Amino acid sequence: MNENLFTSFSTPTLMGLPIIIMIIAFPALLYPTSNRLISNRIRTLQQYLINLILKQMMAIHSPKGRTWSLMLMSLIIFIASTNLLGLLPHTFTPTTQLSINLGLAIPLWAGAVILGFRYKFKTSVSHFLPQGTPILLIPMLIIIETISLFIQPMALAVRLTANITAGHLLMHLIGAATLALFSISTSTALITFIILLLLTILEFAVALIQAYVFTLLVSLYLHDNT
Amino acid sequence: MAGPEADSQFQFTGIKKYFNSYTLTGRMNCVLTTCGGIAQLVLYFKLRPKKTPAVKAS
Repeated sequence: MNENLFTSFSTPTLMGLPIIIMIIAFPALLYPTSNRLISNRIRTLQQYLINLILKQMMAIHSPKGRTWSLMLMSLIIFIASTNLLGLLPHTFTPTTQLSINLGLAIPLWAGAVILGFRYKFKTSVSHFLPQGTPILLIPMLIIIETISLFIQPMALAVRLTANITAGHLLMHLIGAATLALFSISTSTALITFIILLLLTILEFAVALIQAYVFTLLVSLYLHDNT
Repeated sequence: MAGPEADSQFQFTGIKKYFNSYTLTGRMNCVLTTCGGIAQLVLYFKLRPKKTPAVKAS
């Protein structure tokens, strides 16, 4: 059982060749595109949802920050669809891999920080010292703020990885427990099954929320630096 | 988050004009000074010559 629990997180291969690139690219195939101004129902619904998220997320940004709209919308759609697809049985979820989440978090965070240092140097540097700090605490606080800045991409990546991995592990465990209890005590198995159902509903919410949180935090880092 | 404050609303004199935790300039100078000091410390410990013990004649 231990081997079954963790094999779902190993990088998938097909006849010895890694197919991770195909798995990462797959969610993009689920979103239809059209060159018509007014398209079919699915495309209209898709456009409506994207516009809803776009307006809500980019409202706080300056014109410079809004140049990142395409990036942030692609990010939230990618993470949300990857997380949701991962809830299907026997699928591999790329966002359970720290490498992929670090690959998303570090370039986005670094891009925002470099943008801030390039165009608003004084404001970016003065962020390392909160306003009104007592004189004796200044050096210590600068060091603490520097550490907290560099922790930001790590926290972004680890948050997403841990949430999705933990959810999937819990579902595996409770599913295995339900199966094992079925032959021992049906009533207990029923309770475990109800817990599994509730957990699955929670995991649907977590999949969407984590995508939103990741993108929102990147958007906030960008807002701080533009 | 507070927007960029106007440096002119604070009237500091002397060294506090350049090193304080209220104005943008003051905060920037404090940060740059601290980072510069840490960088100098690191460079000093990296570049100082390592003392080799004198070899005793047998």
